[in-house]
Amino acid sequence: MAESKNDGNLIRYYCTAGKGMELFLLEELKKNLAAEDVYQIPGKVIFSSTADVNRLCQLKAAERIFLFLKQDHPVSITAKTNPAKAASALQSRLLGDIEQWTSAVRTWTRLQREMVYRSYPVTLSKGSTREDSVVQKRNEPSGTGKKRKRDDDVDEEKWTFPPQENTSGIRNRHNTLTDQSKDDAKKANTSGEASQIPMRLSTTQLPSAPISFRINCKCSGSLSRCFTPQEVSKVIGVGLSRHLGWKTDLKNPQLEVNIHLSDDHCLMGIPLSRLPLANRCYIKNTGLRSTIAWAIASLAQIQPGFCVLDPMCGVGTILIEAAQEHTDALFLGMDIDDGQIQRANENIEFAEVENRIHLTKASSMMIPLSDGRVDVIVCDLPFGRKFGNKVDMAAKLPLILTEMERVLCVGGTLVLLLSPQLSCLLKKLLEKSHTETSSNNDSKSQAGLQSYPPPPLPAGRVTLKIDQEIHSSPIQDPGRQTDLHTFHSSLKHQESFRVSLGLIDGIIHKYVKTII
Amino acid sequence: MKLLTHNMLTSHVKGVTQGYPLLIKATEVKVNEVEFNPEFVVKMIPKLEWSALVQAAEELGQKQDLPEQLVADYGKDEAFLKKVHRILLEVEVMEGSLKCPESGREFPITRGIPNMLLNEDEV
Repeated sequence: MAESKNDGNLIRYYCTAGKGMELFLLEELKKNLAAEDVYQIPGKVIFSSTADVNRLCQLKAAERIFLFLKQDHPVSITAKTNPAKAASALQSRLLGDIEQWTSAVRTWTRLQREMVYRSYPVTLSKGSTREDSVVQKRNEPSGTGKKRKRDDDVDEEKWTFPPQENTSGIRNRHNTLTDQSKDDAKKANTSGEASQIPMRLSTTQLPSAPISFRINCKCSGSLSRCFTPQEVSKVIGVGLSRHLGWKTDLKNPQLEVNIHLSDDHCLMGIPLSRLPLANRCYIKNTGLRSTIAWAIASLAQIQPGFCVLDPMCGVGTILIEAAQEHTDALFLGMDIDDGQIQRANENIEFAEVENRIHLTKASSMMIPLSDGRVDVIVCDLPFGRKFGNKVDMAAKLPLILTEMERVLCVGGTLVLLLSPQLSCLLKKLLEKSHTETSSNNDSKSQAGLQSYPPPPLPAGRVTLKIDQEIHSSPIQDPGRQTDLHTFHSSLKHQESFRVSLGLIDGIIHKYVKTII
Repeated sequence: MKLLTHNMLTSHVKGVTQGYPLLIKATEVKVNEVEFNPEFVVKMIPKLEWSALVQAAEELGQKQDLPEQLVADYGKDEAFLKKVHRILLEVEVMEGSLKCPESGREFPITRGIPNMLLNEDEV
């Protein structure tokens, strides 16, 4: 990993994150980047870091990363305020000290130069080939300016910059490109990857040339009743043009300014990259959102030598996110559907992790592994939307859970992503099983605390003795476990997180297998 | 199917108590060169059923000089780790089947992926 190139300069940034992902991002920033002064507001985490910008661009839990420009108290304008006065108040508040803007752009330009050219292969839709999608992207009409309003939303996966047809086109538009950027342009042409032109291509213009920019604005709360985002953009845009001589360019600006105004804060920044960080360069067929998949894998606390199973792996998204970070662990992916297995296989080859991730066609209700064989299970349980009525997850949940528990070693970790409905069902199942277990074991629950069995053993190896105990326990035969009343579980709940999956929320639960 | 996967798989056909190790009938076996990662091999060895691995290697005619017994202090024995690496990750069954040692049920291996699905009457 490259060392900091910022010479110890502490730079302030913020990242956007999906709803519920802020905590994961916060952890990642503190743990992996030793970020300072980290704090979160809904949907965003603001922090300072001296880390190399390329490392920042590899953040896994974030959607997008911005150079922090300015944060201020919310602008309080009521509907009664005279519109002209309101606009002027808004402008003076948001523009503030002009020096702040020029220095931010200097920093941003420097960061763009430091950024290793990031050529993202375009994330593909199912079944299409890489080449197809490049063509599609290039043929897209460039007038996508209106789409940009959704920029700051959680669902920004589809967010695209107006694509630039090719690098020579850019050269024609900006005749002042330096030699260095011509090299970059060449690199872009020859890289063979989907051509994602880095922002810095156009930032190497001569200093005398005015900066072209575009504003993305999002308003919420009381302010949105007085101003539309377009009006705010216009007010600020006019201000920037007047004070700094910048030029607006909706189609192909050098830089963007993102403004988010809400009742709680007003935050401005300049995005560092065009594509969201959540678009992974190593994923070919997209499945579960990559940030969520990463969060699930990170909760599992995978260690070297672990055997990790996803019994309903789909296209393998969780396993691939996990295998990116853990080179000394074995990942087993199973799915019942041939199509999914095939796409998972493509993904695994594409991500070059075929030595660590091994696929088997199998049912989650009859996992072809012996008891206690795996250290970690990660799984995104189908929500029943994609799979229609084919699988009634609610009815099969006890059976699936029993199987997962069987193949998990004592002390092993189970991390599940479920729909809110299935999550409720799971809680009920386990609560019921635990109260029954504890009443059978009489005095255990009298402490008034948790009625759970003793603390888990450290994950990893299971002694022979324990193995035999599990072997002879009544949970052994999953065929008899469909009835809720006979459901026993040694899974101990650890933590839960609610995360947004776009239109709906999902709940991540973490359990550790204990001895009954 | 790599032999590392084979070492994990068990048959759960109804009534079977000892569905391990599965017998391999291979019609197409590939040996690909795979980048050697000694840490990975060292960490995987404790997870393995050594005798099942040796048996599988034998069935495929790929045993070469893989020892019958796990050598002691293998962590520093690079020559040994390379042998294990080869048999775990480089030898791959592309077509064939896996046979349950107890029930005789066969599970097909197609394009390198074993199909362990059971019919409803088998569970």
